Amino acid sequence: MAESEKTERKNRKVLRREFLAGGALTAGALACTSVTAAAALASPQQQTSLEPSKGYLVYDSRLCLGCQSCMFACSMTHEGEANPSLSRIQIIRDAPSFTKYPYDIVMSVCRQCVSPLCVQNCPTGACHVDAANGNVRRIDQSKCIGCQRCIESCPQRPHRTIWNHLTGKSTKCDLCVDAPYWSQKGGPSGKQACVETCTAKALKLVAEAPSQQDIDGYDINLAPARRPMPKMAPKPAATGG
Amino acid sequence: MAYGYAGKILLVDLTAKTTSTIDTAKYAEFGGGVGIGAAIFWDLAVAPGDWDLQDAFDPRNVISLMSGPLAATGVPGGGRTSVCAIAPETFPTPLFHRTSFGGRFATMLKLAGWDGVVVRGKADRPVWINIIDDKVVIEDAKALWGMNTYETQGQISTMVAGRTRFGDEWHQAGDAYTTARPQIVCIGPVGESATRVAALIHGSGVSARTGGFGGVFGSKNLKAISVLGTGSIKVADPKAIVDTRIWHAQNFSRGAAPGTAACMPCVNNDRRRDSFHGGESMCADEYWFMGERMKGAEVAMKWGICTWATKFGGAMEVNMPNAAAPFKGKVPMEPGMGWYIKYLYELGVLGPGKKIDSHPLPMDQWDKLVFREVFCDAIARRIGIGADLAEGILEAAKKWGRLEEDLNSGALRLPAYGASWHHSLPGVDWAYGYIFMSGDPMWHGFFSLSGGGGFGGPATYTAEELVEMMAAKVVPFNGDPLMFSNCWKGEEARKTGVYSEHKAKMVAWARHYAGFYNESMSICEMMLPSFIGRSADGIAGPSPDLEYRYYRAVMGDKKTFADTMETGRKIWNMERAIRVMAGRHRDHEQFAPFMYMPGATFAMGGSKPVYQDGKWSFENQNDLYLDREGVEAFKTHFYKLEGWDPATGWPTRKTLEGLGMKKIADVMASKGKLGS
Ligand code: SF4
Ligand code: SF4
Repeated sequence: MAESEKTERKNRKVLRREFLAGGALTAGALACTSVTAAAALASPQQQTSLEPSKGYLVYDSRLCLGCQSCMFACSMTHEGEANPSLSRIQIIRDAPSFTKYPYDIVMSVCRQCVSPLCVQNCPTGACHVDAANGNVRRIDQSKCIGCQRCIESCPQRPHRTIWNHLTGKSTKCDLCVDAPYWSQKGGPSGKQACVETCTAKALKLVAEAPSQQDIDGYDINLAPARRPMPKMAPKPAATGG
Repeated sequence: MAYGYAGKILLVDLTAKTTSTIDTAKYAEFGGGVGIGAAIFWDLAVAPGDWDLQDAFDPRNVISLMSGPLAATGVPGGGRTSVCAIAPETFPTPLFHRTSFGGRFATMLKLAGWDGVVVRGKADRPVWINIIDDKVVIEDAKALWGMNTYETQGQISTMVAGRTRFGDEWHQAGDAYTTARPQIVCIGPVGESATRVAALIHGSGVSARTGGFGGVFGSKNLKAISVLGTGSIKVADPKAIVDTRIWHAQNFSRGAAPGTAACMPCVNNDRRRDSFHGGESMCADEYWFMGERMKGAEVAMKWGICTWATKFGGAMEVNMPNAAAPFKGKVPMEPGMGWYIKYLYELGVLGPGKKIDSHPLPMDQWDKLVFREVFCDAIARRIGIGADLAEGILEAAKKWGRLEEDLNSGALRLPAYGASWHHSLPGVDWAYGYIFMSGDPMWHGFFSLSGGGGFGGPATYTAEELVEMMAAKVVPFNGDPLMFSNCWKGEEARKTGVYSEHKAKMVAWARHYAGFYNESMSICEMMLPSFIGRSADGIAGPSPDLEYRYYRAVMGDKKTFADTMETGRKIWNMERAIRVMAGRHRDHEQFAPFMYMPGATFAMGGSKPVYQDGKWSFENQNDLYLDREGVEAFKTHFYKLEGWDPATGWPTRKTLEGLGMKKIADVMASKGKLGS
């Protein structure tokens, strides 16, 4: 990585303020969590109680176009209708987009945390680690009582758990394990609607747990080394032009 | 309500300060977008019969901002906002015009539960319209009046949804929770003073640029419309939408990339333009400002000026043999008002204290940002020469006594109705669009048809392969490859070429297709249609199957592709009826003189399919210009094909009734405007 790029990434980290809890959470939000955010910083080795997910969505916030195709795909495949408020991935642009690139877009993607506070703080077990589906952190809608503990305890800002105001329950990214309005198989061993729809290729599924320390593990460089020119068909024997 | 629609349209009467609801179902036969916008215009502005439709600034003008049913469904590029009304920009009289803008306005409008906003009347003081889901308030805009478009949007955004801080993006809106910010369309100072060259601005770099609709907002004392929505749009087949999208992206790179749900923020995309924020309009606006590029384009965006009419030049220059000496070979491809000022300055007729006094423009700093600032300010406040320019370029030229000479020489390179040159030739379908509509059709649909010209690279197919492939696609006129011949010389041009009945089918197909898919389903016309594939699999692009698949997935109705084209024809006739009622006649459908002279064309390289002496070939057409009699012959073919009276260009009763438009025919008959 070129020195200038390193510096820019470092600056971005500070400027974007996409922080983990501790620096960012308000006292009020912390007070209602029973497992504190500090635990979220623990390394996979330190955390043995929950099996790590077999898939993680990483992204490149400099490659993203802000088109929100992923949001429409997410709500369409999960809910069967287009509603960005219900999308489990949130791509946020300052409204009239006056902020300078690359700080104009916040990509809010669930990290499938190694130590998922949303799971640990759910009083009913609705938010759980799904062993049958690659240990994805999921919310069982039938068990959710709408207490919003998972939303309050998600250490990411903005929070990655989603409040469905129509059902009065929480939802979250399940890596498309349960996407009833999609013809493809989802989950850590399958495909994700957002990844597939993103023409900018700003989203990717990886199997290794990214560093849990900060955003750099997730917001990574996904740009191809050199953008290839579109391939043209070979020129047939021309009779004109 | 049918799938795809929100179900209702917001009608705001600024005179009465009331809001009401129009049931979208009442207009669904016109699809959406311009189709519904035009039909509502007919009902509110034409049918009552109390207005002659001549003054764009009359409070009776009805301006609609409509979405299409594909917006907010995840269909890429389907989120454009269509705008139509009597437009102040056209010359010599305001004409019924349609335009559109991208970005996220239409999508947000749908999510708020509205298919469109229609505004009539005139407020007695500056106002803005605040829409949050079902709640609509006409707000006082006193504090916003005079602000530039960036400040205006920033203020409104904060008023509607508070300040955003990183991490705090989730906020309450009505009953729902959202990270979205309101989407705003507004005018700047150039629009506030009801000039004829003002744009509607959305975000930092998106605008509705043709027509001068910013002035219509200004004349109504309407500063902005803001919308925040948290609802859903129901579609017939969610799986098919996502599947089609993925198929589209994986198989047809050009048509899909960047491909977005809210809108396609341009082939140049919405980010990373020299690390400046930007948007679809910014690419054209860039050469408004030449050297200063994006920084300069921001000036235009902030003042809310219509950059298409006021362009300062273009990167490429053409040889206009009749241009004045210093400009021979040096007329920009798409010149506008900014360049024309410079032209007159260099000729010595415009300048400080000259016959045309340039005060307050700092002519010696023409290429600097400061000039652009003064230029916008002078127009907005009608200071000095700004008062002339505020009326539009041809109106100014007329006042200065230069109209005829400069339209002849091509220094005023404006093909029709004062609309700026934009790929008007070669590929005459674009040019014919100018005269049958109200200026620039802004439709790149056949652009790729240059057989290697335009945006294309070198031809990878023969002319014959190309036209056959195309001819199979253009239902209901399929099976006639001669539609795509661009032969423009001699008898052949009249028999099979650009003046023939074959070409009439191509132009009609383009209008019916665009009327439905681009202007009413509101799919970005830079994205679709896409006729020529870019993959190694073959030359056929995804159109029209792809857009039809999207349509079916959203709407789920039983319409065939041919049925959708028929709706396109209905929309085209609706627009035609309005134009006729506003005075349109065959005699008005004329090109400016330079279009009939050498130098009319500027081609971006490449060549066009031409049929001559029984053979197809590709021909470089950089020397193409039109023939008056040929154009007249073409008009007759075209009117006949459309079922319009060749003597007047007016639709006949048979044509209108065949389209289920008897009521329209009755109104036209009562004013003696029906074709026979
Ligand atoms: S689809 Fe890709 S480019 Fe578009 S908003 Fe989502 S991540 Fe960004
Ligand atoms: S919702 Fe928040 S806490 Fe739960 S896995 Fe995702 S990022 Fe981690």
